Amino acid sequence: MPKVAIIGAGNVGATAVYYIAEKNLADIVMVDVVEGLPQAKAMDYLHAAPMRNYNVHISGTNDYKEIADSDVVVLTAGIPRKPGMDRMDLMKINVDIAKKASQAIAEYAPNAVVVVVSNPLDVIAMATLQETGFALKRVMGMAGVLDATRFRYFIAEKLRVWPGDVMAMVLGGHGDTMVPLPGYTRVNGIPVTELIEPGDLEKLIARTRTGGGEIVSLLKHGSAFYAPGASAAKMVEAILKDEKRVVPVSAYLRGEYGYQDIFLGVPVLLGKNGVEKILELTLTDAEKTALDASAKAVKDGVDTLRSFYSPG
Amino acid sequence: MIGIIGSGNVGANTAFFLAEKGVDHVTLFDIQDGLAQGKALDMMEAAPIRGYRTGILGTNDPDAVLDADIVIITAGAVRKPGMDRDALFRENREIVTTYARKITRPDTKVIVVSEPVDLLTTVFAQQSSLPAHQIMGLGGILDATRLRFLIARELGVSMENVAAQVVGRHTDDMVILQDYCCVSGVPIENFLSTETIAGLFHQTRQAGALIVELAGRASAYYGPSAVAADLAEAICRDTGRVLSVSRMLSGQFGIQGAALSLPCVVNRSGAATVLAPKLDKDQVDILTACARTIRQTIKEDTHA
Repeated sequence: MPKVAIIGAGNVGATAVYYIAEKNLADIVMVDVVEGLPQAKAMDYLHAAPMRNYNVHISGTNDYKEIADSDVVVLTAGIPRKPGMDRMDLMKINVDIAKKASQAIAEYAPNAVVVVVSNPLDVIAMATLQETGFALKRVMGMAGVLDATRFRYFIAEKLRVWPGDVMAMVLGGHGDTMVPLPGYTRVNGIPVTELIEPGDLEKLIARTRTGGGEIVSLLKHGSAFYAPGASAAKMVEAILKDEKRVVPVSAYLRGEYGYQDIFLGVPVLLGKNGVEKILELTLTDAEKTALDASAKAVKDGVDTLRSFYSPG
Repeated sequence: MIGIIGSGNVGANTAFFLAEKGVDHVTLFDIQDGLAQGKALDMMEAAPIRGYRTGILGTNDPDAVLDADIVIITAGAVRKPGMDRDALFRENREIVTTYARKITRPDTKVIVVSEPVDLLTTVFAQQSSLPAHQIMGLGGILDATRLRFLIARELGVSMENVAAQVVGRHTDDMVILQDYCCVSGVPIENFLSTETIAGLFHQTRQAGALIVELAGRASAYYGPSAVAADLAEAICRDTGRVLSVSRMLSGQFGIQGAALSLPCVVNRSGAATVLAPKLDKDQVDILTACARTIRQTIKEDTHA
């Protein structure tokens, strides 16, 4: 049985555990710094095992040693975004958490593929890559899958069709600068632009852009975790089963789309080795301009991050 | 309850897939004494292992399936090697006509699987009191499923990420909509050469015949059964799947009086919403010609 480590036993981490266990994808170890929390959640899941017929092991620990030999590590640790809080506000705290986790991943799970979920995503992914020293394809961020699933849902809701029949592509950084691509968004092959009026589609795009924020303002305390947990689990499944899925993930770019040395949401082939290929799509001028803005926002974040740690 | 007429390979496997997915209770009918009962019992004896929550009942009484919520018609002769779909028409027309007259519950949805599907769907619709959108033939959705498999295999990507649309008649004249074939929303011409795409389209047209040839006698049934179960699930669970099903056209592309496949939203009402795709003139001409052939074949056969 493959093994998945979930770092951070908060809502996103624990919900990812739920989806992974329900599909019996892998043995799961949940790690958190809070004493008792991952142990409690693991035990709670095990109590449901007789009813839900899990045949995977689930455990909780405060000791990183127990992630040993994990095939996939999902990094969800970090403090959540509060109402009105910008993703950048979170940065320093969450980068420190990610760095510590990354050192442990490099030591105990040196062959793992790492899926970063913590925000600000594209910046945390960069810190994780640097700190683990892993091959580029083995570190990626979960963003596009989540943004696309929100966009897909909004389209399905509008058209009253099955959400599974909607395919969507959302590029760029995970934030207000994300770039949904209506030209690559289809309902069982039919371009969405043939089914939804441009004005209505713009509204759905705007709603997708602020999809995370909409949940935050409704919850008042806390942020989304069902869709993020499901998105992370979907990526874990694609990697474990070597599904070769074509999905948008935040990947390290070396010239693709004209960007160097940043993590940015692009379509990739996702399989057992991680990001097995980056797919370059033809973009319209407007889409390219939007992606440039998104890339700049990510780059600014990384530069800010560097300033925290550079002397002077 | 879902009634299945015919308990051969397609009927029985449709019942099997419906049970595996727990869609609804199934009544499996066959005229052959004991066949439906035997297959139903065999499947139910696997139920404790497979965790079925829906039952499968076998019967030789046609009345037991006529008032089902969904009736799936799989009865009739199957294609033999070298046999063309049209040659089946005379053999299966009578069976379909009989059921079209007997299925009278106004909200029943009918799925025609028996071949030649567009001809039989047209005959059923002509003989039935049910509205056209409640009568669906298993056409483009099966061709599209086969094409999705071929594209995914060629590219080495997940099949779930591949979408395709095939419209028109479920014969070699099928119209494959290349612009609507994509991987996670990205058109296939981004990944495949024109020659490779043409090859895959050719294989799609020949897919049914290849299975007949390889298997030696039986025509395909896993694919058709999976697709029939998928369609029944979309109706039963009111999901709004966007699927290319054969139904009587009502003026789309100027065509009436014949059933052809076009993408439809499939939900509790059947296939009421047709999403007319963008077709070029040649494609419209093929659909028009197919519709004419269907109308003529039915007319000639009536007078024969």
